[in-house]
Formats: sequence, structure tokens, C-alpha cells
Amino acid sequence: MNRLFLTLALVLASTLCAQQPVAPTPEPVGPARGDNVSEYNIVNSFETGYRFSSIDGNEGKYRSDVNYGNGLRLLASNFTINSRDGRGRFFDEIVLTTLGLGNDPYESAVLRVQKNGLYRYDMQWRLDDYYNPALTISQGQHLYDTSRRLQDHDLTLFPQAKIRFRVGYSRNSQTGPALNTTNVFDITGDVFPLFTNVRRLDNEYRLGGDLDIAGIKITWLHRWEDFKEDTPFAFNGPSGGNNPTDLTTLSSFQRTAPYHGTTPGWLANLHTDRKKWAANGRFTYAGGRRDYILDETAIGTNSIGLNQSRQIVVGGDASRPVTTGDLSVTVLPTQRLSIVNNSSLYDTRITGNSEYLEYDPASATTSILFFNFLGMRAITNSTAANFRASKRLTFRGGYQYSDRLIRSNEYLNILPDGPESIVAEQTNHTRSGLLGVRWQPIQPLTVNLDAEISRADRPFYPISDRNYHALSGRIQYRKKSLLLSTGYRENYNNNSIQITAYSSRARSYFADASWTARSWMAFDASYSRLHLDTIGGLAFFTSSSLAQLDQTQSVYISNIHAGNLGVRFVLRKLADLYTGYSITRDVGDGRSAPSSVVTDPVSGFLMPVQTFPLSFQSPLARVSIKINNRLRWNAGWQYYRYREDFGLITINQNYRAQTGYTSLLWSF
Amino acid sequence: MVRLVLALLVALVAARAEDKPSEYVGSDACKTCHADVWFNFYKNPHYKSLASGKESPDRTGCEGCHGPGGAHVAAHGGKATIRAFSVMSPRETVDTCLACHGKDLSRANIRRSQHTLADVVCSNCHSIHKSAVPKFLLARKQSELCYQCHASVRAQFSMPVKHRVNEGFMQCTDCHNPHGAFATTWKDGLKPRLVDQAQINEEPCLKCHTDKRGPFAFEHASVRVEGCETCHYPHGSMNARLLHRPAVFTLCLECHNGAGTFGRENNGEIRLSPAHNLLDPRFRQCTACHVRIHGSNADPTFLR
Repeated sequence: MNRLFLTLALVLASTLCAQQPVAPTPEPVGPARGDNVSEYNIVNSFETGYRFSSIDGNEGKYRSDVNYGNGLRLLASNFTINSRDGRGRFFDEIVLTTLGLGNDPYESAVLRVQKNGLYRYDMQWRLDDYYNPALTISQGQHLYDTSRRLQDHDLTLFPQAKIRFRVGYSRNSQTGPALNTTNVFDITGDVFPLFTNVRRLDNEYRLGGDLDIAGIKITWLHRWEDFKEDTPFAFNGPSGGNNPTDLTTLSSFQRTAPYHGTTPGWLANLHTDRKKWAANGRFTYAGGRRDYILDETAIGTNSIGLNQSRQIVVGGDASRPVTTGDLSVTVLPTQRLSIVNNSSLYDTRITGNSEYLEYDPASATTSILFFNFLGMRAITNSTAANFRASKRLTFRGGYQYSDRLIRSNEYLNILPDGPESIVAEQTNHTRSGLLGVRWQPIQPLTVNLDAEISRADRPFYPISDRNYHALSGRIQYRKKSLLLSTGYRENYNNNSIQITAYSSRARSYFADASWTARSWMAFDASYSRLHLDTIGGLAFFTSSSLAQLDQTQSVYISNIHAGNLGVRFVLRKLADLYTGYSITRDVGDGRSAPSSVVTDPVSGFLMPVQTFPLSFQSPLARVSIKINNRLRWNAGWQYYRYREDFGLITINQNYRAQTGYTSLLWSF
Repeated sequence: MVRLVLALLVALVAARAEDKPSEYVGSDACKTCHADVWFNFYKNPHYKSLASGKESPDRTGCEGCHGPGGAHVAAHGGKATIRAFSVMSPRETVDTCLACHGKDLSRANIRRSQHTLADVVCSNCHSIHKSAVPKFLLARKQSELCYQCHASVRAQFSMPVKHRVNEGFMQCTDCHNPHGAFATTWKDGLKPRLVDQAQINEEPCLKCHTDKRGPFAFEHASVRVEGCETCHYPHGSMNARLLHRPAVFTLCLECHNGAGTFGRENNGEIRLSPAHNLLDPRFRQCTACHVRIHGSNADPTFLR
């Protein structure tokens, strides 16, 4: 029996896992079947240890990509208690799992408590320490060092009954320091850094239920969401701005821009599943609304060096009622054939009022009233069929038609010029088809082939899917502890519109192998290649004085090779060894250095961004020693190396990091 | 003639006897041979049907899923005498599980799910008697389960910039419903698939990134119409902030090139203003000025 559990644990731990962080340790500890205590059975494990890291190079980029630090952690814990007869007094099951508690950047706790027939309570709590230096985006001036905390609570009463009630609560907060930028005095003026202390909060409350009547399941749900942000902005004193050649300066700046809003929503769903047919209908409505105000004062000099002060006050509201309806009808005429038809409607009207008041002592007060409207209505109908020609051969196909109407109205009332309204409307029809086959020539071998083609007559923007096709194939061989698979997928899109053409070609190839050769040895290897090349039309100005319009092409080429190898050994049932290596390398268009001398200034600034060759690799090793049935000692090392062949905007983000841990995994 | 009639009658009786439905014998009968399954079965959510003692035999314990066991017991085992999932067709598997699990809203679209249509059904992901995780009886840890088929997605989560799935902070089901989802309210056509939706049928990104949800007085229309993946990769990217391009201005200018699709200038996307000389490096980082690029309350060009 021990051998069975060992083999199962080995298979589970080794199959097709992408490179995980070195800790926590995946090995089990304690009796697999747990301990009986009174009328309950308990299975538990706790892993406590110390995590370390040492970074050489760009620490900001390391924190953005990996972010593991130093310190004591409860790396992971699992606790399960089950009633042995399913008739516990207050509960029949408690399942609690935690990860990274005690200051890891990614922490979570998941809890389920239930009593058969009476209630089920689910809780999930998560924390993400998010650090992003945004070096290539804004030269580090949009840095984020925030924490996002998420929690969800759901209580279901009478979960096995024909009438069920559900209550839920979710909370999502983001807090922490960040940087931002602002542009002042005119839209081509200089940009100045700001400090912000991010404070965002979102609360959602849910109340609903289910009712089963004569085989029809009725679900209803009412939600209330309240959200707000009151992030303060701070300016750290007189500044000449980012551009030393620009005469704009800022000596004083203040901004307050809070908002709050609510999104109440309703959902109703009717569902039935019969022997020869099934139907599902849904209706939802949500009415989002927010109120906001912005108060901003800036004092300094403008782009020609004259003293300038400006106060801006903006107030208004925005609303977005959303209505959706869906109806699916499934027909199951024989055991071999199923046909599903689905119709969907989506309608939303986003409206906003924004009154802009600007006081400039030089030009006196300006008042502008903006009114914006963006409406979307989409009607979709799709049919899909699955036909099982034989035990080993299945065909599938589908067709979808959609009709989407988008309308917008931009209304400006600029005093004293008077109102101006710009109206736009567009209808897009998309037709898509899908064909697929699943063939199982022999029991362990499965072949899947799919083809998809789509045509849209009026895509919304230049890079939207217009003439689109996708082809994919996958072959999988699975026998006992051996899994082999390989596949190919391509997505091609061509969007030729009035004055530009856009072409995107994405191809991916992969091969995976996973094999548990012996009860004490397992292998896992994978290779993927992801290719993308796009060509799009660009139009931009390259001389502010002459307003010279350049029309050229944006070319982007990415060739990513991703490999993963893992080997696991169990030595005399006492020690588990795992070694792994993961590499992701984008070779771009083949260049390993910036382009040689380019005399054309336009090509000079476009060429460095057409490809971005870099590599990211991470070897790891871990050992887990069984001290006794209830205690293991673990240690691991993981190395990260990030290297850009040539950096964007001359910023070097390369880093090397040594990380690791040592821990005790125990069960009581 | 008499012999012929008698022979037909005997054959008919025999046939009827063979057609006699198997009888329910109760889960206790299963313990004898399937002790390894029974030993831990009280930890299985399906044990609730036994514990309650109120369910009909066809919804209780082993026979709730495997059907009446009378013939199986009489034959001393065999897959032909009982409903064995290992020899069921995908459709039979779905039908069997939906008999009880069809009541949940999360499985309301299972008949039209791309997984179901591709014959990827319940038993491909769930292991009722040998599950790796207690919750949802998954055959493996969730991400590993999905990676088995979605290998290119696995490669994306190994990139330097990614959502934290391998780190355990997120799961695939935070954004996807493997049992089938309602029609998307963004994009057109058959993509994307199995994507679960946020509160008001928007992209699942907005479940966490609620500050991007709006409503805004000034929406960035492409975000609202075609979704976040217009600019971002959802799984992983080699570029900062999961962007499609390493440099921001190429991302923006591929749409803002004056091409005639929708908008207020030239019946097309708003073209870069002549005041923005792209040879001047400060105009290459569009979001340094257009800081509220996902939507703004105060400025139609997203400056504040």
C-alpha cells in the first residue's frame, strides 16, 4: 500500500508541472489516510521554514518577475477533517490550505466548512505584493509597490435540497505607494513626476437562491457592489520636469481626484436537462454608476518660460446599464449526436457628464461641458454539433453569426464657441465556422484536429480580427505512467482597411513527455516554440515645426523557445531529490545586438523596438529527507537569470538571483 | 408446429429474463471487493448521499453513479454488468454526472462547452476515487491538469512577466470556466472560449482589476468593445505589464494611425497630433502623459 501511495505521489508531483517556485515542498508527510480522532478523521501537514534570496543586478525587475525575499514563513499547510459517518454535529468536513503566510509575496488561505444537507461555507483569502518599476514604459515614473488583498466568502444553505439559499461577500483592496506623472499647462508641455498613495476599495454583497421544480432549475442572484478610490497625489517640490530643454517648470502642484460608485445587479437563470434535450436561459441586468470630482492647482512657467498658474475643477458622473440575455437549446436525438443552438443579446449604454472648469489668470475662466456616449449592442447566434461516428471517431462543427452595433456621441460645449456634437455609428457582422475531429486509433492514442475560420466585414479597429483563421492539431499518447504529446497551432489574421493593412501570424509548436519510470524515478520534459510576427501601418509626425507626416510599417517579430526539464528520484524511501531547469528565450528576429548604423532617423527609432531578444532561465534543486513518518527536513535552491540581449531605451534590466529555503514539514 | 411455438415461447421467456433489470443491492455489497475505494469513501463528497439516508437507491452511494449492482454482484464483477466509467462514451459520462450536478449554475453551459463538444468530459479532469486534491476531486493540481493539453499556455506562464498561477496565487478557474461559459460580451466570433465573466458580463480581468472597470465618462472604446487583450496578453508575456509590444508607442500607433474604422477624425482612429514629434523621445512613452489610458473621468484624452 505504501508503494501505491508513493507511486501515486510521484506521478502527481511529476506530471507536466511548469517550473514551480522551489518552495513549498510537494512531498507528503504523515499517514496518508490520516488519524482517527473520535468520530472524525484528520489529515494535516505544515511546512515552516526560512526563505532567502540574494539579488545581483536590477532588483526592481527581479521584484517585478519573482519577488521572493528573506524571512521565516509558514510556506504551506494542509488541514482536513472529515466526519467518519457523515453526520457530524456541527460540521462534516473542514478543509484548510494555506500558502506563503508570513510575508511571502503571494499568500493565500482557502477554507471550506460544510455540514451535509445543512450548509456549505467557502472562503478564499489572497494577498499579492505587486511591485512593478515600469522602467520600459515610463522610465520608472509609473512604479507600483502595492498590495492587493482579495477575499471571497460564500455561504450556501441546504446545498443538497431543492430550495437553496446563498449569501456572499467579496472584498478587493489595493493599497501602497506608487509613482505617477502629470502633464501641465498644455498638452505638449513637460511631464512631472508625482507621488501617490494608492487607496482603492471594492466591496460586493450577494444574495441569491436556487429552486428545483419539476426538473427545472431556477437561479436568482442579486448583487451590490460599492467601489471607491481616494488616492492622494503629492508633488515633492519645484521641478524642471523630465525634459531639460523644455522651459516648463512646476513650483507648486496639488491634485485631489476621488470617486465612488455602485453597481447593483440582477441575474436570473432557468435550466433544465432532459433525456433528449436541454435548455438554459439567462437574463442579467447591472446598472453601474460613479460620481467623481477632480481639483487640481498648478503654478510654474509654461513652455515659453512665462509664469503661469492654472486651477482645474472637474465634476460629473458616469453610468453604464448593461443588459444581457442568453438562450441555449440542446437537442440530443440519439446517443451519437448532440446539437446546441445558442442566442445571446448584449446591450450597454455608457454615458457620462463631465463639466470642466479651468481658471487661468491670463485667459480668465474657461468652462467646457463634455457629454460622452458609447453604446454597444450585440446579437449572436451559434450552432454547434458533435457526432460520434464510432467508439473511436468523433466529428464536431459549428457556425456563429454575430451582429454588433456601436454608437458614440461626443458632445462638447465650449464657451463661448457653443456646442458641437460628433456622432459615429458602425455595424459589424462576423461569421465564424469551426470543424474538428477526434480520433482514437488505439486506446492510448488520441488525435485532435481543429480548424476555425472567421470573417468580419467592419472590424472596430485596425488590429481587430477580420480575415482570421486558426488551425490546430494535437496528438497525445497516454499509457499507465507515460504521457507523450505534441501539437501545433496557428492563428493568422489579416485586417486590410482603408489606408493601412495589418497582418498577424502566430504559430506555436509543442512537445511534452512525462514518464514515471519506476516507483522511485520520474521525468518530465517539455519544449514549446511560440512564433509571432506582425506588420501594421503606422502614421506619425516627425517634425513638430513642419508637421511632417510619415507613413511606414510597424514590424514586430518574436520567436520564443521555452523548455522545461524535471527529474525526481526517491532514494530508499527516505530522501526525495528533485532537479529542474526552465528556460524561456525570445530570439526575436535573430539579432543579438542593436542594428548597425542606420542613417534614416525614422528607421533609427523604429528598428530597436521591432524585436526584443531576451532570456529568462531558472534551474532549481530540492532535497527532502524523511526523518520519521511525521517529519521531513527540506532544503532547496533556485537560481533566476534574466538577460536582455539589448535593452529598450538604453535601460538595462538584467539580474541574477540566488533564492532558496530550508524547512521542516511536519504532521501532528 | 407446436414445437416451433414452444421454442419461440421459451426463447421469448429467456430473452425477457435476460432483459430483467439489475436490482439495487446497496453500497454495503460493494465493500467486499472494493475495500480500497470504500475505506476512504467517507471523505468523498459523494458520501453525502449515503450519510443522509434520504436519497432514493438510484441516487445513493456507489449505485448512484454506477447503477444497480445486482447483476454485477451475481456475476462476481465485470465491467459489462455495471455502469463503468472507463468504458462509457463521453456523452454517457456527462449524462450520468449531470443527473445530480446539473443543478449548479456554473455547469449550465456544459452542453455547449468547447470541452464537451471536443469529448473532454468530467472523467478527464476529475478522479472520483483517486483525486489529488480534496476540493472538486481533481485528478491533479489544477494548473497541471490544464497544462496537460494546453502546453502553449504552460509556456506563457513560464515567461518573466505573468499572472501568478505557478506561484499558487491564482488558478486557471479564476478566469475560465472549464464547464462552459456564456457568450462573451467583448470581441466577436468564436474566440475566446470558456472564459468566465466578471460581475456585469465583462472580462474576468475586471474581477481583480476593479479600478479599470469604470464606468468612465471617457471610455477608451477599444477596451470596452474588444477587451483587455487588445493590448495585454492574459497569461504571460516577455514585455512589461503583459503588453503585446516592448515599446508602448508601437502598441498605440498601430491603432492610432488614422485608419478608417471608427471615431471622430477622418471617420477613423484618432491620429497622432502634429504636436507630437516622435523623433523627440519624450513623445514615445504615450502613457507618461495619457496616464488614465483605461478610462478617465476628467479628460477625453486620458491626461488626468
